[in-house]
Order: sequence, then structure tokens, then C-alpha cells
Amino acid sequence: APLDMIGKSTDPNAMLQASGLDAGVGLEEQLSLPNIAPYLVFNPQIILYSNQPASKRWVLQAITQSIREIIEPVVERSVAIAAVSTRELIAKDFAVESDENKMRNAAHLMAQNLAGSLAMVTCKEPLRLSMATNLHAIFMANGLTDTMAEQAVLITVSDNLDLVCAVIEKVAMEKVTAEIDDLLMNAYASRKKHREQAPGQAYFDMDIFAMTRYPSSLPEPLRAKPSGLQPAQLRVYEDFARISRTAPQAGMQTPIENERTPQMSRPDAPFSYGYNAAGAGPMSGNANYDAAGTPVQQHQATAHQILERFTQ
Amino acid sequence: ADHQVQQKLAQLDEEKIYTLVLELLNPSLREQALLDLSKKREQYEDLALVLWYSYGVMSVLLQEIVSVYPMLTPPTLNGVTSNRVCNALALLQCVANHNETRTLFLHAHIPLYLYPFLNTTSKTRPFEYLRLTSLGVIGALVKNDNPEVISFLLSTEIIPLCLRIMETGSELSKTVAIFIVQKILLDETGLYYICQTYERFYAVATVLHTMVNQLVETQAIRLLKHVIRCYLRLSDNPRAREALRQCLPEPLRDTTFHAVLKDDGATRRCLGQLLINLSDGSMN
Repeated sequence: APLDMIGKSTDPNAMLQASGLDAGVGLEEQLSLPNIAPYLVFNPQIILYSNQPASKRWVLQAITQSIREIIEPVVERSVAIAAVSTRELIAKDFAVESDENKMRNAAHLMAQNLAGSLAMVTCKEPLRLSMATNLHAIFMANGLTDTMAEQAVLITVSDNLDLVCAVIEKVAMEKVTAEIDDLLMNAYASRKKHREQAPGQAYFDMDIFAMTRYPSSLPEPLRAKPSGLQPAQLRVYEDFARISRTAPQAGMQTPIENERTPQMSRPDAPFSYGYNAAGAGPMSGNANYDAAGTPVQQHQATAHQILERFTQ
Repeated sequence: ADHQVQQKLAQLDEEKIYTLVLELLNPSLREQALLDLSKKREQYEDLALVLWYSYGVMSVLLQEIVSVYPMLTPPTLNGVTSNRVCNALALLQCVANHNETRTLFLHAHIPLYLYPFLNTTSKTRPFEYLRLTSLGVIGALVKNDNPEVISFLLSTEIIPLCLRIMETGSELSKTVAIFIVQKILLDETGLYYICQTYERFYAVATVLHTMVNQLVETQAIRLLKHVIRCYLRLSDNPRAREALRQCLPEPLRDTTFHAVLKDDGATRRCLGQLLINLSDGSMN
């Protein structure tokens, strides 16, 4: 049921939908999630895990639930944005490159890095909150006291957050690879065809050149040579594979410090789309703004009166 | 002769720009080139075109942006790294600002890579500077009253990001954020979008209300001007006007801001018009 809600929350992002991603299709059916069970960390500080081995299953269950809650909107949004950026910039930079394999390789590296980076930066906080909520609920449901649950939650979230983020990042990187190949299918094909029909002749993507007068007025080193891209130029795209997507000094932050951040950010239900899994989209008609903690409480009475007029 | 000297100098400048742009592609020269180019960006009118059409430069600038993401949560961004990415953002602002590159910039979805920066809440200087510079890029996009820009922004989550900065940012950030919201409101589609559901209207009205309360203390006239113009524009929409009759903050109705607006006739007239729009019986 929660996945249905997420499926709707992509509105009003018509542009992203236009990129060919269908919000209605469940991502889970398309992609197999890696099995995280062997990689989960159970901290020896938490005696529960040694006293009651069944509790490890609860953890797996809670964390899997968090992944399911968050993965679809995060991956969809990251993949849609990264694929479009990659298509536009690769089409421009590879306009005179006749080798579709070089183009495809650069497109993959760029799209994977962009999608992975966007997924990572988007999912981290929502995942941390979701994991904390789900773990707390499952511990309480199995008879832990509030204090015991609280401590187990803090440590377990902190120990496993990076792993779970990496799962989402990996799925985004896999999905964007297929997506960008789809978007550049014609570009690859026209290069292949050109090489077969006019071997050895320079390639020009006329769609790109027809659009603008500008590239030809640039001095040579700044644009691509008709003889194809140079190794130093291709390096720009190879560098996408070298950017680190993990936090520097990971583990320096204590769980307690980590715990402070969520209170500072407030859910932005009325406009947001994407990772805000619990919040319905702007078109949902759900007036759950009170739950989001609006800062100005004194308007509430009048607000509800006016609300009636807006929902007529 | 004077003319020739000037032409020679212009040519040298242009060559220097080309050299710096080329150096952006070299990871070991990039940091300095970003700094030098961002300083020169006002001097060379067509820099945006050179940045966009030179091989690899836009991709390099995107690399600079996403490589900072891991420092956002938990907040570990330091001053040096913040300066470097802000220089990259300054170059993107140049591309966002130019008539011939703005649409290409939008079509490549590049503004969306700045949203994680706007979503940060750390109050340290490196983060304040990062948010302010990112807002500057969006501000450059909306400055030219381009409907395509507005419809792009409306399809993204920029409004909630701006609203939060309007509430909690530094005065400078607040000013750029409300400028963006004001520009969105001034567009017909933008006004319609914000007034389309009660939740959206209420989100904007709530933040404006908070700002008015803060302005009673700070008397920051630059912000007050924008707040009044946002309210005035909201009052062009019949349903929002109806709602504002009940929730316009009291300090805008009484004499609280009379002194601070004494020398600003234009804003005083906006406020007067707003109150006329909201007075009963004047409409329908």
C-alpha cells in the first residue's frame, strides 16, 4: 500500500515524466534488490542481538521496509534528471565523434555518477528517519522498553545507514545505464550507419550544428576536432568514475549528533515531490499540513475557515 | 592608435579567457582557473557561450557540484571547498543569465543539481555562502521574466526550498529567495499555480506572515519591499484575496512600518493598493 502512495507523488513533475519514465510501473518488479542480509551490522554493544537472535530478523524486516518506502521516488527522480543532463551534454560534446562506443562509454560513466550522486544526497536523511521509525516500531512491537529500543535504534541506524544508501545508489546507477542508452539509441545508430556508409569520413551531428552558429567560432583546443576526440578530452568523462560519493571522514559523527539534523528540516508537503515518501503530492488534496508542523500556529482557526472556500 | 591598442588588449583578454577555459579541463589547474574565470565573468560578454560550447566544460562544472554532495550530510563542507564550488556556481550563473544559453541550461536540467545545496540547514559560513551563491543562479534564471523558466521551476521543488530560506536564512539569502518567489508570482502561471490549492497558498502566506513579524524587529526595508509586493500580487487572485482579508498580518494594516517606508513612495503605494484590494466591497 505505501508504494501506491509514492507512485502518485511524482506530480507535478511533467518534465521528468516526459523523459520516458513511467511513474505507474513499480520499480521493484523491474529491479531485483540486492540481498542485504549478509551485510547488516549487529553491534555487540546491543545485547539484544546476542540474547535473542530472532531480533536480527526484525532488523532486516524494518530496514527492508525502509528501502521499499524510499527507493522508488529517489531512484526515479535521480535517474530522470541524470539521464536528461547526460543526453544533452554528451550530444553536444560528441557531435563530431564518429565512434559510438566512445560516446556510450562516456555517457554511462557520466549518467551513473550523476544518478548515483543525486540518489545518495537525496536518500540519506529520509532513509535515516525511516529506518529509525521502522526499527523503533518493530522493537516496541516485540516487547522492548522505550529506552532499550531507543538505544538499539540509534546504534543500528548509524551502523547500517551507509550500506542502505549504497543499495539505493547501486539501483540508481543500474537503472540510469539502460535509460541513457535508450535516450541515445538514435545517436549511436546514426554513427554506426555513418561508419558503414562513409568509412573514414568525418562525422557531424547535423541536429547539433543546425542549432547554433557558435561552436565553429571557438578556437580549436576548445572544441572537438573533426578527426574525433583526443584522449585528454575523453578523460573529462572518465573522471566521472573517479568522484567519490561517500562522505569524507565517515564515522566521525556520533549517532547523537546525527540525530539532531532531522528536526531542523521540515517536510514541505504542499510542493515537494520525490523522496518525501510519506507526504502526498500537491495534487492529492490531502490537507496534512498541520502534521508537517507549520510554524505559525496562531492562524489555525481562520485557516480552516478559509480552507473550506478553497476546497469548494 | 588608441583604438588599435584597445583592440589589441581586448584580443589578449579573449585569449586569456580561452586559456582559462581550457585549463578547467585539467584537474590540477582547475581550482585556480575557476577562481580567475569567476572574477573575469563580468568583463567578457560572451563567456556564457564559450563555457557552454567548449568541449567538456559544462560536464566539468557538474562534476564540481556533485563532488561536494558527500559533505552536505553530515555537514563537513569547509571554507576552501565552499569557495571552489561557489566559483563553479558563479560560472553557471553566467550561463543561466545569457539569453542564448539559458534555455539550453534548463533543458539539461542543471538547476536541479543545486537543490541539494539549497536544502542544507547548517548555519556555518561555508554553507551560507553555498546557499546564497546557488540562489544567485536561480535568481539569474528568473530575472528575465521568461515563462519557460517559470514553468521549469514550478515543475520542481524550488518553492518550498525558497520558503524555508525566507524563514530561516541570512538577510541576504532571504532577499534572493523572496525575489525568486516574487518573480514566480508575477508570472500568470506562477500565480495560478500557487493559488491553485489551499495548501500552496497557505505555505506561502504563512512564511510571508513570519517574515512580517521578523521585520517588525529588524526593519529591513529591502526585504519589506519584496514582502509587500508579494502580498499585492497574491491579492490579484480572487481566492487568495479572499483569504488575505482574514490573514494579512496586522503590522501591514497599522502604522508599524510608516516610518521605515517614509522615503519609499513606490512601496507605500503598493501597500496602499494592497489594502484597497482587500477592503470589503471594493471587489466583485
